[in-house]
Amino acid sequence: MSETTNTAASPSDHIENQELPDSGYLLLAIETSCDETSVAVVRNGREVLSNIISSQIDTHRQFGGVVPEIASRKHVESMTLIIEEALREAQVELPDIDGIAVTQGPGLIGALLVGVVAAKSLAMALDVPLIGTHHIAGHIYANHLVGDILYPAIALVVSGGHTEIVLLESEGKFRMIGRTRDDAVGEAYDKVARALRFPYPGGPYVDRLAQEATEEVVLPRSWLEPDSYDFSFSGLKSAVLAEINRSRMKGETPEFSALARGFQQSVIDVVTGKAIKAAKEFGARQMLLCGGVAANKGLRTKLTELCAEVGLPLLIPPNKLCTDNAAMIAAAADMKWRRKQFSSLDLKAEAVMSLEEWSV
Amino acid sequence: MSTQDRTGNSESNPNVTILAFDTSTAAFAAAIVRDGVRLDATISFTERNHSVKLLSEIKELLGRNGLQGKDLDAIAVGQGPGSYTGVRIAVTAAKTLAWTWGKPLIGVSSLEALALGAWSELRENGTDVAELGERAWIVPLMDARRGQVYTSRYLVDRTGSWERADGDGIRLIEDWSKQLGHQAASADGKGSPSVWFVGEIGATQQTAIEQAQLETDVRLRTLACEMSAVAVGQLAGIRYRQGERDDVHGFVPNYTQLAEAEAKLLAVSRGE
Repeated sequence: MSETTNTAASPSDHIENQELPDSGYLLLAIETSCDETSVAVVRNGREVLSNIISSQIDTHRQFGGVVPEIASRKHVESMTLIIEEALREAQVELPDIDGIAVTQGPGLIGALLVGVVAAKSLAMALDVPLIGTHHIAGHIYANHLVGDILYPAIALVVSGGHTEIVLLESEGKFRMIGRTRDDAVGEAYDKVARALRFPYPGGPYVDRLAQEATEEVVLPRSWLEPDSYDFSFSGLKSAVLAEINRSRMKGETPEFSALARGFQQSVIDVVTGKAIKAAKEFGARQMLLCGGVAANKGLRTKLTELCAEVGLPLLIPPNKLCTDNAAMIAAAADMKWRRKQFSSLDLKAEAVMSLEEWSV
Repeated sequence: MSTQDRTGNSESNPNVTILAFDTSTAAFAAAIVRDGVRLDATISFTERNHSVKLLSEIKELLGRNGLQGKDLDAIAVGQGPGSYTGVRIAVTAAKTLAWTWGKPLIGVSSLEALALGAWSELRENGTDVAELGERAWIVPLMDARRGQVYTSRYLVDRTGSWERADGDGIRLIEDWSKQLGHQAASADGKGSPSVWFVGEIGATQQTAIEQAQLETDVRLRTLACEMSAVAVGQLAGIRYRQGERDDVHGFVPNYTQLAEAEAKLLAVSRGE
């Protein structure tokens, strides 16, 4: 019973009568679910004319993580500036915009609210349709900006807040096959990085250290029940911390690089193993990797190998489209745009939001 | 300066039409103010989450008055203080609308609007605000939890003058009400002013004011009232006539205090 599902069934009046322009259409998308303020202009759902991303990472680093209240304050500071920059870079004017897409959820509620209110203001002021968009659908459809998607497809979503295996039976039809039961992959990476004394966000440091390591401390794999596609990383994270403590108790220096490699190998084995298994079970014709952790080299390499082994085409967006960005939101919103499934001006930001219910 | 001048009634200038709104309190208040006078207004409490109805209510308000964005001279907004999330909602909408329509943005203190709205309400009801004396203090209150209030103080008199005496800040209501009670009693010149606490007067505020009353001879009066978007528009109208405009991109809420994480970090860096 998400807002979008309700409103999709009853698009507002002024919107229904509008015809899609023949010469192509421009969506302006806004993403503010966490600590990036991003605005993009995308033509015909796939051609990225601009994708401005203003990261707050330098601000949050001093707090050792994202502080929701500060993230919300920063979004207000940069919102209109980033909209202006996105239009300028796309070399288009406000009246050229045909529709507004915005991340409705899931995410930090105070942060989402800023983007949602800005998007609604734009939609009202320009009198164009509004499309509330699911953040994870955005990550998945970032792949549509780099290639055609063959259905059914399996999407492996790995980010700071999400670790999910999603089945796409056809365009815009989402089925959640597996999800994390505790920490998201990116979260586990950041926690391990902190234990290894890397600054926040430490995921990329762990990746690099693991790549450079010559030894590996073999850590357990958390496969859960044989038929489950769910994940659990808190045990693995605890195993790393226990190893560090054990070394210190003995007065030894912990084998940081070997631990990083052990951790990374365990994570990668499990997430890629389960994704490949899901692809086989559901007869997937394509594998989609997405989310901020898709930038992880170890993960990319392993998944590429495994997909090649079983002859499964794999799509991975470039790094800029893997981390939170507004172009991916336009890419997902485009499915609803083409179906004229618009949101009402009373769209509500949702901290928790079902991907399946957001299906077209 | 008389009230008439201050609220923007001037024959030499063409009509000035302002869309004004505020979401710093439990109310979503919006109004259209023309030359300092209320053209139309709406207020709702149905959703604590003002982000849901805000834009459709503004659209409805403009529509039923036959107005479009191009017909407006400025967008006025309550800049806070108040609920952090609440203030951000109105400020984000105001910035985006002003930027999209290419209209001037004028921010006003939500506390000043609350105070001015209360004063207007008192005068419309025929209340002698200054009662027996010449002057009165209007002290707006917004609950800021843990015994705190967002507050400020305005001086008014029978001629209609309106003057800020204390700026917006966050204070303990217990200390603040006592302080004002003493201060009013010892005010020199034209005798003690009447003191009016207005706005969000809940049980906490009521109790504190009653306690403060025991320590002063000056009557401490209260008026529970809601945010007035008309007052937001009137105050913005004054700034508009004076040629003042806010920078749309740089405009941010007045939170009056650092985010908790920032305050802690600052304390650590000071070695506290």
